[in-house]
Amino acid sequence: MRLPPFEYQAPSTLDEALKIKRGQGAAAQILAGGTDLIVNFKHRLFSPATVISLNNIAELKRIEVTHDALVLGAGASLAEVASHPAVNEHFPILVKAIDSIGALGIQRFRGTIGGNLLLQPRCIFYNQSHYWRMSKGLCHRTGGKDCLALEGSDSCHSICSGDTVPTLLALSAQLALAGGGGKRVAPLAEFFTGRGESPWNIMPEEILTEIRIPLPWAPISWSYQRLALRPAVDFPLVNAAAAAIVEKGKLEHFRLVIAALGPAPMVLREVEARLKGAAPTREALDLAQDAAVRVAEGVVVANASASKEYRIQMAGALARRATGEALGLA
Amino acid sequence: MQKHLLTMRVNGEQVELAVRPNATLLDVLREDLELTGVKEGCSEGACGACAVLMNNEPIRSCLTLALEANGAEILTIEGLATGGRLHPLQEAFVEQGAVQCGFCTPGMILSSKALLDRNPQPNDEDIKTALAGSFCRCTGYAKILEAVRAARDGDVGNEGS
Ligand SMILES: Cc1cc2nc3c(=O)[nH]c(=O)nc-3n(C[C@H](O)[C@H](O)[C@H](O)COP(=O)(O)OP(=O)(O)OC[C@H]3O[C@@H](n4cnc5c(N)ncnc54)[C@H](O)[C@@H]3O)c2cc1C
Ligand code: SF4
Ligand code: FES
Ligand code: FES
Repeated sequence: MRLPPFEYQAPSTLDEALKIKRGQGAAAQILAGGTDLIVNFKHRLFSPATVISLNNIAELKRIEVTHDALVLGAGASLAEVASHPAVNEHFPILVKAIDSIGALGIQRFRGTIGGNLLLQPRCIFYNQSHYWRMSKGLCHRTGGKDCLALEGSDSCHSICSGDTVPTLLALSAQLALAGGGGKRVAPLAEFFTGRGESPWNIMPEEILTEIRIPLPWAPISWSYQRLALRPAVDFPLVNAAAAAIVEKGKLEHFRLVIAALGPAPMVLREVEARLKGAAPTREALDLAQDAAVRVAEGVVVANASASKEYRIQMAGALARRATGEALGLA
Repeated sequence: MQKHLLTMRVNGEQVELAVRPNATLLDVLREDLELTGVKEGCSEGACGACAVLMNNEPIRSCLTLALEANGAEILTIEGLATGGRLHPLQEAFVEQGAVQCGFCTPGMILSSKALLDRNPQPNDEDIKTALAGSFCRCTGYAKILEAVRAARDGDVGNEGS
């Protein structure tokens, strides 16, 4: 399959890449591992004037531990992140999430952690060849005025499918972005808009530079759960991550996230609020499951390879499993 | 579109050619270098037929811009035999009957080579993980698994014995 025509630049510094971005904005697209972008080019979902490769920018591939955070360069490969000693020491949940992505030969060595976060949200009416899509007509995401999955909807419900997203959110990650006005740091929790046609709070001239995960003040117990038609290659139908800190029998910190449902991952704050401060009991499982189903009912539409009802019920099941495993109740 | 100079080592030989920015590594290997052992199946990353090794790691050549291979070391199935002798993995695939139409075979063998180089004693789970995402539509995976086990155990070169 042919790619659309574009110019190619492979700067060796972030500053040079930002300069190209400042000049061209959205017409210049970032290529990290390309394992999402190139497929989308082939499907003619994008056709940029310029592709900016991050391949030669060493400063974006750094992984380091500072006094209070693990800092992952956005351009670090999934293999580099998953094999890094500090990642294994502090956040084995992230290794598990990375292990679950696609397949070793697809993106383990080329795909990046930044590209996984910025994976274009997916929809069965969108991730198709140009020819296939033309038979259905346009939707919000492709320049039309309706949603093919939910008639009359005023926005796009495509699915945030990155396997590291719920984990990074459960670990309260922050993002560093560089762009027009210099650098800024934003919590991952505030990065998603909930609208599939413009899923992130990122400016056209910005580049994601780092993902910072705060080092925990006490050991974290955790769980990553994922459901897909086939365990390899296929994107998640639902995924969930939980992180907990239990001290002296009391739950001092708890975060539960479900994702791959709609354009934004969902942090189940009410579960967190209800459980914090008390000793974890099996009631937590029902609480997590019920909350997840309720939240999923509000966001899931019929746009994946499993039915809407199945995905809603499985959001509950995975939230339950994640809570059970993280709290040692399973 | 401005062509760029691409320099890489392919199967041990230095190559230098001008390529379109929108050419994939698959396009350049097959069309410019005539290495047709690199197969184009799905062209979307999902089948593994186009797998090659880049700096000893398995990648999808259909998802990689050729220019991203600048300075890299590429191995295709054509570069595996040395001095007219098949690589043990190739021998194992032949001997175990792990090849039928052969379309998936280059990707299977190269992915297996990367595995054995990284981990000379993989268990079945390791082999399955390394080959996940490589699809075979005829032989069936049992024979392919047997071939990789045979190569791991040095159980090759027994044909006819
Ligand atoms: C067959 C197949 C199966 C897959 N299965 C899975 C799966 O199970 N789970 C999963 O999570 N993913 C899956 N993927 C998707 C993809 O391979 C991974 O998400 C991968 O981590 C993407 O990273 P990348 O570096 O290749 O991204 P790229 O394709 O390079 O980039 C993705 C997007 O992010 C933008 N971008 C990347 N980096 C930056 C940056 N630093 N700043 C600004 N913008 C940036 C790009 O412009 C692009 O729009 C699959 C892909 C294929 C082809
Ligand atoms: S959810 Fe609706 S608007 Fe969004 S990509 Fe799918 S069909 Fe298009
Ligand atoms: S042709 Fe590249 S993975 Fe199928
Ligand atoms: S031998 Fe035909 S696809 Fe594997």
